[in-house]
Amino acid sequence: MIITFSILSAIAVISALLAVRLRNLVHATLTLMAFFVALAGLFILLMAEFLAAVQILVYVGAVGILILFAIMLTQQVTGNVKEHIEAHGALWGLAGATAVLLTLLLPAILKTALPLQPVVETIDPSVRALGLNLMAPYTIALQVIALLLTAALLGAVVIAISPEKSEEEKKS
Amino acid sequence: MLGIGILKGMVVTAKNFFGSFVNKRLLPTIQYPEAGNSVTLFSRNIPFLVYDNDEDPLGTMRCVACKICEKECPPQCIYIVMEKDANGKPAKRPKVFDIDISVCMGCQICVEVCPFESIKMDSTFELSTPDRFEGLLLKREHLLKSNTYFHKIHPDEAQEVDDRLAAKQKKPAPTPSTPAA
Amino acid sequence: MTPINPDQLIVQLTQWALSFLDSYPLVAVLVAILLSTVPLIAVFPGCFAITTWLERKGLARIQNRIGPNRTGPLGILQPAADGIKMLLKEDIVPKTSDRLAHFLAPVVLMVPAFTILSVLPFNRNMIPAAVDTGVILFFALGSVSTLAVFMAGWSSRNKYSLLGGMRAIAQMVSYELPLVLSGVTVIMMTGSLDTTKIVAQQQLSEWIQSSNAGLQCLGQIIGWNVFTPWGFAGFLIFFVASLAEINRCPFDLPEADSEIVAGHLTEYSGFKYALFFMSEYVSAFAINGLSTTLFLGGWSGPNIRPPWSDDPNALLIPGFVWFFAKMFALMLVMIWIRGTLPRLRVDHLMGFAWKFLLPLAIMNIFVGGFYYYAPRWHGIPVVGWPIGFLVMYLSYECIGRLNRGPKTAQRVYHYAS
Repeated sequence: MIITFSILSAIAVISALLAVRLRNLVHATLTLMAFFVALAGLFILLMAEFLAAVQILVYVGAVGILILFAIMLTQQVTGNVKEHIEAHGALWGLAGATAVLLTLLLPAILKTALPLQPVVETIDPSVRALGLNLMAPYTIALQVIALLLTAALLGAVVIAISPEKSEEEKKS
Repeated sequence: MLGIGILKGMVVTAKNFFGSFVNKRLLPTIQYPEAGNSVTLFSRNIPFLVYDNDEDPLGTMRCVACKICEKECPPQCIYIVMEKDANGKPAKRPKVFDIDISVCMGCQICVEVCPFESIKMDSTFELSTPDRFEGLLLKREHLLKSNTYFHKIHPDEAQEVDDRLAAKQKKPAPTPSTPAA
Repeated sequence: MTPINPDQLIVQLTQWALSFLDSYPLVAVLVAILLSTVPLIAVFPGCFAITTWLERKGLARIQNRIGPNRTGPLGILQPAADGIKMLLKEDIVPKTSDRLAHFLAPVVLMVPAFTILSVLPFNRNMIPAAVDTGVILFFALGSVSTLAVFMAGWSSRNKYSLLGGMRAIAQMVSYELPLVLSGVTVIMMTGSLDTTKIVAQQQLSEWIQSSNAGLQCLGQIIGWNVFTPWGFAGFLIFFVASLAEINRCPFDLPEADSEIVAGHLTEYSGFKYALFFMSEYVSAFAINGLSTTLFLGGWSGPNIRPPWSDDPNALLIPGFVWFFAKMFALMLVMIWIRGTLPRLRVDHLMGFAWKFLLPLAIMNIFVGGFYYYAPRWHGIPVVGWPIGFLVMYLSYECIGRLNRGPKTAQRVYHYAS
């Protein structure tokens, strides 16, 4: 368990770092996906298969592909090497970020007793419970999100269609 | 109904699939070197010279070395030299009759123009040879084939030619020379 | 000792072998893992080899040819010859390609292709990974293959490869929707994402456990989802969408050899190409296995209880025989379709997914819901079946007619009669 955890978390950390540091955008995206997959592995380790499946389905299958599509539409995949961002006070930034993270996370970490094994052996009705929760207490939230996404979809369709129409109008 | 065209197409391919096991027409493949060949009564590829008597091929050949085919041949693959007798008089038969089959395109024009029915199309096709210069230059001896052979490969055409020659012979011939010797 | 049950023989043998390792739990776990994964890795490449042979022979017969017949009797050794050829070929990597991504792409494609096999129930108690969320895990891991195809297309640094990769992504993302939505109906009716439960729901246990052999046979068949209106429509949608999902004819635009050489496979040779080829076929098997599980009753088939057994669940013919038979039958239909239909145009392909399959799949979900709540007479869906069928048929016709393009004038031939 610990071995698997260390391997997966090492992959996650390294690929996350690479995703930030790599100058080739496609490589960065690919390492980001490796990070997502490692995270899904960690979820499986926590016996949350559904979450792992959704993690892969949404992040690798959809978000990652979307990012790749966006990159393909840009001009240069490999950034201009000469133009470095001249960042002064990187250390200060790092320290600030760490401080914020610690103040946010430290109370939570201190409060939780971390067991090495999962507390429950199987989370038997996890998916069922999730579904029931979505259907009973959070129905309105679900519906609102669905509405929002539908609106976004329709908006995308409208944006995609409009230039063609204007051309037709120009002709006529 | 929608999609009925797809189903029709599927039925056609299924018929082809199952039919190929029972119907010879639906599996026309011939596995050549092992089984059969593709020669039919309609196969024509390179020309050959016809003679009438099996015992005397050179004496009964129909060709009179008129050189019409040599002149008409589009890729000019025919080479003819007329034979002369001791007095230097033309003997009305070729001493040399070569066809370079690496050049011949099988157009059958020589057959069309020949007034003596002496050159006809053959249907052999296994002509490969290890020597691409000498082996593909067919001499008179290679080209001479009997009328019986002609009857065997293209019976209808050979019969037609024989009838025509016979009719020509029967007619009161104003000229003494008959091409078939 | 319990009487031999041919259906469960392999499971019993496995348990018997593992019982020797009771005192070494760690070794037992490792052996159990090996025993459930190694058969997958051994069996499916074998199936792949058989299928390539079947495909070549079948396509040849459809086109009035004989097909491969030089290697062994009826050319049965052709896959072996192909494999040797592939292995011995030089592995050429383009100079300007992205070497790492180029190398990783076939691996990234192959890993999910084999992993998704592990959620398929091949028989009772014969599922490599009995997870609660089998179906969604299948789709999730299946979506990774899109990434691999993109990696292959992009890293080759070849315009045809990139075009193929882009086409593959657009196609796979579009067709995943009808694929998942037609599966959703089954999940909704079963109330579970667990593949074993989905199969169990398609068997009539009272009939199977009765003493009449005919009833036992029928009980294994009559409950298949494909015999319900929503199941039939769902099966057809699922099958068509799965054809697109695994890039097979008539949806093989990513590899359209008449337009873009070989799409994302253009710059691959040798063993990497073989890996691509194999993963494509293995994922074809996987998706056919899933449609077998969801709609065709999984491992249940006309089967009777062995005469010597008292166990009400014992079966004479092992269930995996039926599973593989159905999977191969679907594979053969795919080959048949490949021999029949020409390739679609890109805009037709997208329109077909978004304007035809997707509305139909959503309609199917509604019909499924109606079927579930419609009144029954002695358990027979006398209301749900005919009305559901009618609604599905009408929506099929209506959506089809709405999609018909503007009527073009009859073409007039001026010179040809």
